Amino acid sequence: MLLPVFTLKLRHKISPRMVAIGRYDGTHPCLAAATQAGKVFIHNPHTRSQHFSASRVFQSPLESDVSLLNINQAVSCLTAGILNPELGYDALLVGTQTNLLAYDVYNNSDLFYREVADGANAIVLGTLGDISSPLAIIGGNCALQGFDHEGNDLFWTVTGDNVHSLALCDFDGDGKKELLVGSEDFDIRVFKEDEIVAEMTETEIITSLCPMYGSRFGYALSNGTVGVYDKTARYWRIKSKNHAMSIHAFDLNSDGVRELITGWSNGKVDARSDRTGEVIFKDNFSSAIAGVVEGDYRMDGHIQLICCSVDGEIRGYLPGTAEMRGNLMDTSVEQDLIRELSQKKQNLLLELRNYEENAKAELSGPLNEADGHRGIIPANTKLHTALSVNLGNKTQAAHAELCISTSNDTIIRAVSIFAEGIFIGESHVVHPSIHNLSSSIRIPITPPKDVPVELYLKTFVGYRSSTQFHVFELTRQLPRFSMYALTSPDSASEPVSYVNFIIAERAQRVVIWLNQNFLLPEDTNIQNAPFQVCFTSLRNGGQLYIKIKVSGEITVNTDDIDLAGDIIQSMASFFAIEDLQVEADFPVYFEELRKVLIKVDEYHSVHQKLSADMADNSNLIRSLLVRAEDARLMRDMKTMKNRYMELYDLNKDLLNGYKIRCNNHTELLGNLKAVNQAIQRAGRLRVGKPKNQVITACRDAIRSNNINTLFRVMRVGTASS
Amino acid sequence: MDLILNRADYLQVGVTSQKTMKLLPASRHRTTQKVVIGDHEGVVTCFGMKKGEAVAVFKTLPGQKIARLELGGLLNTPQEKIFIAAGSEIRGFTKRGKQFLSFETNLTESIKAMHISGSDLFLSASYIYNHYCDCKDQHYYLSGDKINDVICLPVERLPCITPVLACQDRVLRVLQGSDVMYEIEVPGPPTVLALHNGNGGDSGEDLLFGTSDGKLGLVQITTSKPIHKWEIRNEKKRGGILCIDSFDIVGDGVKDLLVGRDDGIVEVYSFHSANEPVLRFDQMLSESVTSIQGGCVGKDGYDEIVVSAYSGWVTGLTTEPIQKESGPGEELKINQEMQNKISSLRSELEHLQYKVLQERENYQQYSQSSKAKSAVPSFSINDKFTLNKDDASYSLILEVQTAIDNVLIQSDVPIDLLDGDKNSAVVSFSSCDSESNDNFLLATYRCQANTTRLELKIRSIEGQYGTLQAYVTPRIQPKTCQVRQYHIKPLSLHQRTHVIDHDRPMNTLTLTGQFSFAEVHSWVVFCLPEVPEKPPAGESVTFYFQNTFLDTQLESIYRKGEGVFKSDNISTISILKDVLSKEATKRKINLNIAYDINEVSVKHTLKLIHPKLEYQLLLAKKVQLIDALKELQVHEGNTDFLIPEYRCILEEADHLQEEYKKQSAHLDRLYGMITDLFIDKFKFKGTNVKTKVPLLLEILDSYDQNALIAFFDAA
Repeated sequence: MLLPVFTLKLRHKISPRMVAIGRYDGTHPCLAAATQAGKVFIHNPHTRSQHFSASRVFQSPLESDVSLLNINQAVSCLTAGILNPELGYDALLVGTQTNLLAYDVYNNSDLFYREVADGANAIVLGTLGDISSPLAIIGGNCALQGFDHEGNDLFWTVTGDNVHSLALCDFDGDGKKELLVGSEDFDIRVFKEDEIVAEMTETEIITSLCPMYGSRFGYALSNGTVGVYDKTARYWRIKSKNHAMSIHAFDLNSDGVRELITGWSNGKVDARSDRTGEVIFKDNFSSAIAGVVEGDYRMDGHIQLICCSVDGEIRGYLPGTAEMRGNLMDTSVEQDLIRELSQKKQNLLLELRNYEENAKAELSGPLNEADGHRGIIPANTKLHTALSVNLGNKTQAAHAELCISTSNDTIIRAVSIFAEGIFIGESHVVHPSIHNLSSSIRIPITPPKDVPVELYLKTFVGYRSSTQFHVFELTRQLPRFSMYALTSPDSASEPVSYVNFIIAERAQRVVIWLNQNFLLPEDTNIQNAPFQVCFTSLRNGGQLYIKIKVSGEITVNTDDIDLAGDIIQSMASFFAIEDLQVEADFPVYFEELRKVLIKVDEYHSVHQKLSADMADNSNLIRSLLVRAEDARLMRDMKTMKNRYMELYDLNKDLLNGYKIRCNNHTELLGNLKAVNQAIQRAGRLRVGKPKNQVITACRDAIRSNNINTLFRVMRVGTASS
Repeated sequence: MDLILNRADYLQVGVTSQKTMKLLPASRHRTTQKVVIGDHEGVVTCFGMKKGEAVAVFKTLPGQKIARLELGGLLNTPQEKIFIAAGSEIRGFTKRGKQFLSFETNLTESIKAMHISGSDLFLSASYIYNHYCDCKDQHYYLSGDKINDVICLPVERLPCITPVLACQDRVLRVLQGSDVMYEIEVPGPPTVLALHNGNGGDSGEDLLFGTSDGKLGLVQITTSKPIHKWEIRNEKKRGGILCIDSFDIVGDGVKDLLVGRDDGIVEVYSFHSANEPVLRFDQMLSESVTSIQGGCVGKDGYDEIVVSAYSGWVTGLTTEPIQKESGPGEELKINQEMQNKISSLRSELEHLQYKVLQERENYQQYSQSSKAKSAVPSFSINDKFTLNKDDASYSLILEVQTAIDNVLIQSDVPIDLLDGDKNSAVVSFSSCDSESNDNFLLATYRCQANTTRLELKIRSIEGQYGTLQAYVTPRIQPKTCQVRQYHIKPLSLHQRTHVIDHDRPMNTLTLTGQFSFAEVHSWVVFCLPEVPEKPPAGESVTFYFQNTFLDTQLESIYRKGEGVFKSDNISTISILKDVLSKEATKRKINLNIAYDINEVSVKHTLKLIHPKLEYQLLLAKKVQLIDALKELQVHEGNTDFLIPEYRCILEEADHLQEEYKKQSAHLDRLYGMITDLFIDKFKFKGTNVKTKVPLLLEILDSYDQNALIAFFDAA
């Protein structure tokens, strides 16, 4: 069994995910972690007599080998590493919701301090693609930004939603690192510099990503799932009721391949094989894990795996030695294997006995009441499922509907549907009351997003009086656009917004695509091109027209820019289109965006004004205080009192001003997010190279504050005419 | 010295009941013993270990489920005759497997517990106790509540035969012939009895008992009265006790206490000084420990604890070290043995798999015909639904012989499902949109691989009653599920007790009408937990209950045509009144309900609630301060400047937070009960005060006992 080689207990709390090890003086590895009250502590067990004497850093009053760094703001991400290769030692990077600080711990100086309007939710340090210097890449509200050691932003792009996790990994095996971005819209996107090369949709917010080996990487979701991807294919995943706080790749059993180490919210740490997800090692802490890192913390030439809990407990593990043959847990493998085999044997015996019982049941004659009680049903019972669109009525909104029915008089006691992302939890249960039992059941489904979903159905079939039921397990796929009902075209309501593009595909293939992605009634018959189909959204009643001409020109009319993007992306992957230029116009959306952009300007100016006010007020405070104290020394109590009263009022003003500033800031953030999203949406209307061109051109237009160019880019895809 | 025991799995048989495994006595000290075990398929298996492999001595044919297995024989000779209880029959086998006895007791219920001593046979079914001598009926007793276990103090050491029954109503009944000599109250429903040291201790009168809520105790049963020696409370909230044995595993010459629990924990207690047991060792196995015994099975000269689990695994916790010190050669041999075992298992599996495939095909073909029927594999579920006194919540334990795939929980009453630390299953709550379907709770528990046991915690609200259903689907083919139903009773938080305080101000509810004793009993069963289904003997009966949450009490006395219920809590009376009148109307029985409300009782109940409420409020306040105080601590480096109260909070921070987490929603529950009390008080007066509830909540927000009492008086 693998035991920790060292255990430390620090008297500082550690904020989850904010732990990093760096050699800030070039030789001694030190642990840096964010703690309470906007502070970062640096634990340096190697040189005890070091004293910092600057304003930022001070000695921790609790422990001699810990120094504290005051950030004065809640730390939102933290990392350490080589930012400037010439320096020869690591820099500490601390991100907050408004700023990014690159800090030179050794010299106690700032390398740079940049304001980042989009906030820094996640940070990663390293080289990206062909950019030669190491970058500190931060992910904020829909935006990604990379800074070099001087604070120049060499990299900028937008992504679909707020970024929660980042990692650098050689995704396509070309020897250069790609950027993995996990965001709030459940997507993992892979950026080859600023081009998206892959997108994987997960089932929850991606909270952590870590590179494993080659193109393999681990991920963790906010619902307790951890797993491993190889390129775009998921190798394995497991789900726990606890949350994965931190993941890290480390070769703990010395087999040359790194395992996925996960630190859980219940204090458990486990190491899982990258190929199978099998647990090869586990340990328990008394409180939640804050971070898992690696480093040579004992300075003996061996890298340890270091796990930190939120209560400040730190344990270091050395990889297992060769004699342990990868056997890191205390129970012997053989014992477990025997148990497992015996369990299998028991299960097989149970199944065999069941067949014997069946044979007996057959002899006992026709089906009777008692049989039903024991859960005996006709052997030829079959289950039918059908998906359709239900337009709803007064009491129930329109929805997609799953109908399950048995082929005889047996009843359906309950149905549990396991599907991720479309229900509140991971599963949905339908359990009719005993009076409403019947042989068929209709289940309304309203997926909140347009994504294809696998529905895993478990249907409990039996009789009214049964205490034991047959469980029928089925899988159905809910098409991507299941929330759209086919309706008859009505030119008056045709949306003015549209996208227009040409594909080199036969109309028949488009029909196949329609059939696969929409819930069309069975009798739908679509003739050859040119044709048009019309759908109504079940969510908001919006119209969607898809027209195809003989030339292969397709026009999609909808006011929903996201839907247009989804349709284009879905078609592109179905027809394997690599590059697609699209002409688009969304007058209503563009008008809204124009307003947002104006608002952004307003908020910026308000922000500046407020900052100036604050500076004035702080000067006033200083002078008031001096004058009040002067009055006190002169024993002029009345004036002193007045001064202090003024000071009190001013303080109230300042507090109010702060509240206004806060509101202003959140509004600004919201609007900036909308702008970033707009760029992302404009990108999603195109495929491949045109997509990246649009994003870059939009960014340029915003930089130069040229709104008209921006809209032009969004419409036709390029800035030049 | 630390006790280090290593686990070794020996054999798996069918599902086992409590106390169905024994070790046959060895010929010489510390030589290997044979294991006998009986399972639900009715098979008695006797085996010994040879070179790490289980070698069967004999195996009987399947039959009725075996409820108990005991060893017997002539007194003062090795006890090596095997007796089993299956259905209403007792069978005896020699140690070679030859049946020498088959005794049909003709009991109407199947036998639940058995004790054998010489030619005396003590049996109990659910409510009936019978004593036979040489298979001739001697004595008989009908118990008021379910009998869980039966034992007799050693006849060879005591002048008279003293059988003891462990009854569900928290009482040990000491018998003399067919009569109860006296009753001993124990802290929980006793599930198992054992003689101290295996022989009744120094006096021969020392009896160990274990309860279903995990408590353990020793009483001396003298001829006149019981003497409580010691009691171990279940501080760590471990499972109920299923089996006890005495064996010197530590090797200090004093017999230790071995305990097996229903959550898979095996414990060893040693006696140091003052004859108080001290926990020396515990180990977690994954499933219920049904039997436990100390002895020597795996290898000569190494003592071990042999346990059998619910799923039929016989496992040894042995003092034999895993790594042999004798050298690498030996280790290799062990490995070789393991490898042999694995390969033989594998080949057996292959064979089985082939057979199953064939059968599957047969079945497929035959299922095409329209007349064919399809049965589902039956599997047994070991379930337990009990009220925990400490936090006034129910715990539902489900255990299946094979791994559980998922459990669907449905309830037609509003209840809360709490997250337990003990289960690792992923829970998902489903929306219960359509009201017509009577669903208040729909949830699925998706279990991790190899989970055979699931423990859920449920919080109920008094006055809201209905059924909780659990659909359990194990990982076997073809997929099937079983439903289990549990009743949430109207007074779900009440627990049986034996004494109440008669000085409290009481409210009385009197029922009179044309109803039989059985009818009124059935209503009480419907309303209150822990009441035996069967109407007790006699003309009238008295039960006492205690509210586990508020400590208020309820006294119920009823007979044919009359029922009197007294409680110091108005809400309890109100709930009873509503439910009873509803039940009576359903059965078209004309009931006269009279009530006598004591105004003082409301104040009394509020005073009972006061310390709990105050504690909770203070706790919430303290917990709120912890973070801020900790920040100050980091800033200043020490806590000398803080007032002692705050310093105290900092010191106890972890403890406070833990307490707070444990008692989540405790405050809300208290508020709910105070509101109920308020509404009920005025309901009896005929006024509806629902509009004043917001005002009450306001008062509770800034709680002050006198203000609250004043509000109750004024409104």
